[in-house]
Amino acid sequence: MNAVLKLELIVGLLASFTLLTIFIWSVKKGGFDDSKKMMDGMLFDSEDDLRDAINKENKQKALKEKKLKDIEKSKEEG
Amino acid sequence: MSIVKCTHCQLEFDEIVMITEEKNPDVYFCCNGCQGVYHLLKDDGLDSFYDKMGNSSIAPPIETDDNVEKFDLESFKQRYIKSTPDGFSKVDLVIEGIHCAACVWLNEKILDNTEGVLEANINFTNNKAKIIWDEDTVKLSEIIEKIRSIGYNAYPYDQSAEDVKASSAQRDYFLRMAVAVFGSMNVMMIGVAKYAGYFSGIKPENLHLVHMAEFLFATIVLFYSGWIFFRGAYYGLKNRIINMDLLVSGGALITYIYSLTILFGAKGDSYFDSVTMIITFVLVGKYLEVLGKKSAVDAMDKIKSQVPLEATIVEDGVKRVVSLDEIVVGDIIEVKNGEKASVDGKSIVKEAIYDESSLSGESLPVEKQEGDTIYSGTINSGMVMRYEATKNYANSTLSTMVNLLEDSLASKPKIEEMTNELSKYFSLVIILLAIATYIGWYLYSGDSEKALIITIAVIVIACPCALALATPIASLIGISWATEKGLLFKEAKFIETFAKATTVVVDKTGTITDGKLTVKKQSKELDTQDVALLYAMVDSSIHPVSRSIKKYLEKEYESIKTVELEKIEQLGGRGLKAEYNGQTLLGGNSKLLDEHYIELDSKSDYTIYHFIIGVRVVASFELEDTVKKDAKEMIGYFKKIGIEVIMATGDHAKVAKRVADEVGIKTVYSGMSPLEKAELLISLKEQGKTVVMVGDGINDALALSKADVAIAMGSGADVALAISDVVVLNDSLKGIKESFIISRRTYTFIKQNLFLSLIYNIITIPLAMAGFVIPLVAALSMSLSSLIVVGNSMRIKTKEL
Repeated sequence: MNAVLKLELIVGLLASFTLLTIFIWSVKKGGFDDSKKMMDGMLFDSEDDLRDAINKENKQKALKEKKLKDIEKSKEEG
Repeated sequence: MSIVKCTHCQLEFDEIVMITEEKNPDVYFCCNGCQGVYHLLKDDGLDSFYDKMGNSSIAPPIETDDNVEKFDLESFKQRYIKSTPDGFSKVDLVIEGIHCAACVWLNEKILDNTEGVLEANINFTNNKAKIIWDEDTVKLSEIIEKIRSIGYNAYPYDQSAEDVKASSAQRDYFLRMAVAVFGSMNVMMIGVAKYAGYFSGIKPENLHLVHMAEFLFATIVLFYSGWIFFRGAYYGLKNRIINMDLLVSGGALITYIYSLTILFGAKGDSYFDSVTMIITFVLVGKYLEVLGKKSAVDAMDKIKSQVPLEATIVEDGVKRVVSLDEIVVGDIIEVKNGEKASVDGKSIVKEAIYDESSLSGESLPVEKQEGDTIYSGTINSGMVMRYEATKNYANSTLSTMVNLLEDSLASKPKIEEMTNELSKYFSLVIILLAIATYIGWYLYSGDSEKALIITIAVIVIACPCALALATPIASLIGISWATEKGLLFKEAKFIETFAKATTVVVDKTGTITDGKLTVKKQSKELDTQDVALLYAMVDSSIHPVSRSIKKYLEKEYESIKTVELEKIEQLGGRGLKAEYNGQTLLGGNSKLLDEHYIELDSKSDYTIYHFIIGVRVVASFELEDTVKKDAKEMIGYFKKIGIEVIMATGDHAKVAKRVADEVGIKTVYSGMSPLEKAELLISLKEQGKTVVMVGDGINDALALSKADVAIAMGSGADVALAISDVVVLNDSLKGIKESFIISRRTYTFIKQNLFLSLIYNIITIPLAMAGFVIPLVAALSMSLSSLIVVGNSMRIKTKEL
């Protein structure tokens, strides 16, 4: 009985501290800076929004690659 | 006539004035702007915006004549645009017109869909945006145009050092508070097992396990979340001050150390739960204070974003765009229509029209003759004009106002909260009593452990939980009640201050009156042809009087015929001239009549508009700014309960007096500049009065910042809203009366709560000191006292307004 209690407590503590770590990471990344937006977050979680997020990521990647190439090119020319 | 909602902005209007479309009979638009944005969103596949809006409404699109080329100027780039490490450009903007989360979504989406924009992040809480883009693909001016195309506007702002500091402080406190709440919740859950064990029996090893878990959470909360109290206490001691921080950290630390001795073998009960509770409660209060400071910085950034970036000066016939700091006295400055004057000066053109609403609050433009003073921050409503600078930027009206506002926001006196003061002395007394208890019991019994247990019981029973809850719980209920009524209290402390108010200062335009001219009297009836001609005349002008007449005609006459006028000419400060089928049409004020030698007895206290065809005066209209329907009721209420009501307005004495008489205000200050209004507030406060200011315009901002409680109308200028402490969302003056009643009632309950918790302490502390209360009972009775306070506070909302 005591062993079960200990196990429960340890698992519970581990789980809660993992969540706390994720939360701290998110706060430090600025995820909770905008309290109003955070509260309305679920309004903007549709399938379309997720698809847009992927498109945005791809667009950012392409833009960054293009920029890198441009910088390298101008260095070669310069 | 039925009321319908505009399909875009969701505001309600009479069906008759709405724009409809043959192809889509289900859509209605209040203006062309709404119609344009609706179709743009539909074409871009962004119409899910309307689903996201839910029941909220937005303002119709902002139409601006301001050119966007300035955003690509070198001087602008140097000041506002920064480079990111990977070679992109970054700018911080304030977005104007954001009302709901859907607005944020739409702006972000339209920017994300723009080629070359890497990142667009808009903060809904403060409407600030961070945009990163590739300068080679898209220009900033194009990005701003995108934002404008969907009916919003954007201004750059310099992300100040204070902003960065306030943001990081807010994040730091938020994290500490969240960890404290997390710790307290866990300790409370574990506490259930512990206290249940006391009654039903618990094995010592299991109890030890529970204590270990509590110890873990309490350690994190005390040393991580509570770190700021230790730091504060250290600096306090260094400066020989006993502050709240010392008492909080000292109390928590003593309880923690005692609990540690229990954990490691001593007999008794541990109080890790009290440690986490004390830290959490006090930290929540501190976090709210930090939030207040952050919102003051955000308000300042919004104000600064309204300052023009540069000016066009003319030297030997050559125009040059310079930054404001480069302007020297004597420079000739050119101002286009819709642009703001950047420095103070005097007009060198014969005629000009300026919108001085930012200074006087009055919506009617002011005529400027040669030699008249042009104030910085006012907008040129007429044609391109030139003036000579008489002051440099630093000494000009606009800069002075911005600086004063910054000073007053930074040093806005914090009302000394009764609870804080009380708990400061209370904690000191408790610490002294605890020390006395320990010494007394040690000397009496010679048993140090027993002395310590009784001392701990004293500390626990006196843990200012009920005292700490007395104000926040009552305020929370008061604030939520106010929110239900459409009144937004930005901070809880304003409830208390508002309840103590002795004087209410109100602005006139937009607060007591609607701030819009409406036709009060029409001299003669018009036939169909005359209505069509007059409608075409007023439709070609954006002057407030013309707009009011247009609205009036739309309301009074059905199906107005469309006619095309020729040779439309704006006659600065007098009206309009046009031709139709060889006939001259004139529309304007009495000066226009004199100029055309038309005799008519047209003396009136109101704004007057004559419509003339040839030399025949077809009709005259009297317009007035109407008094809001609930103004009299509100003022009557304040007078009845003995609160002094004062009107302070930038308008002329005659108009101010008339409105004041109508609503029953005896003390009137007219023709006041924003500075004079602020001085009036300061002098009233110096007389020992608690002053509430109600306003809505940019011109009220400075006075609002000086008031003990600043109330702004929801439709007011962004700046006024940012500075205010209470926002009346539905613009109703009844709302101000209601918020006062709520404040007073809430304050009464705060006092009751404080009284209850003090009575509780007066009874229980002596019992604990005498050794009659074991720490466990102390902890339970502490919770009971908190429950009494919460229960009492719930009664606030039982009264009907």
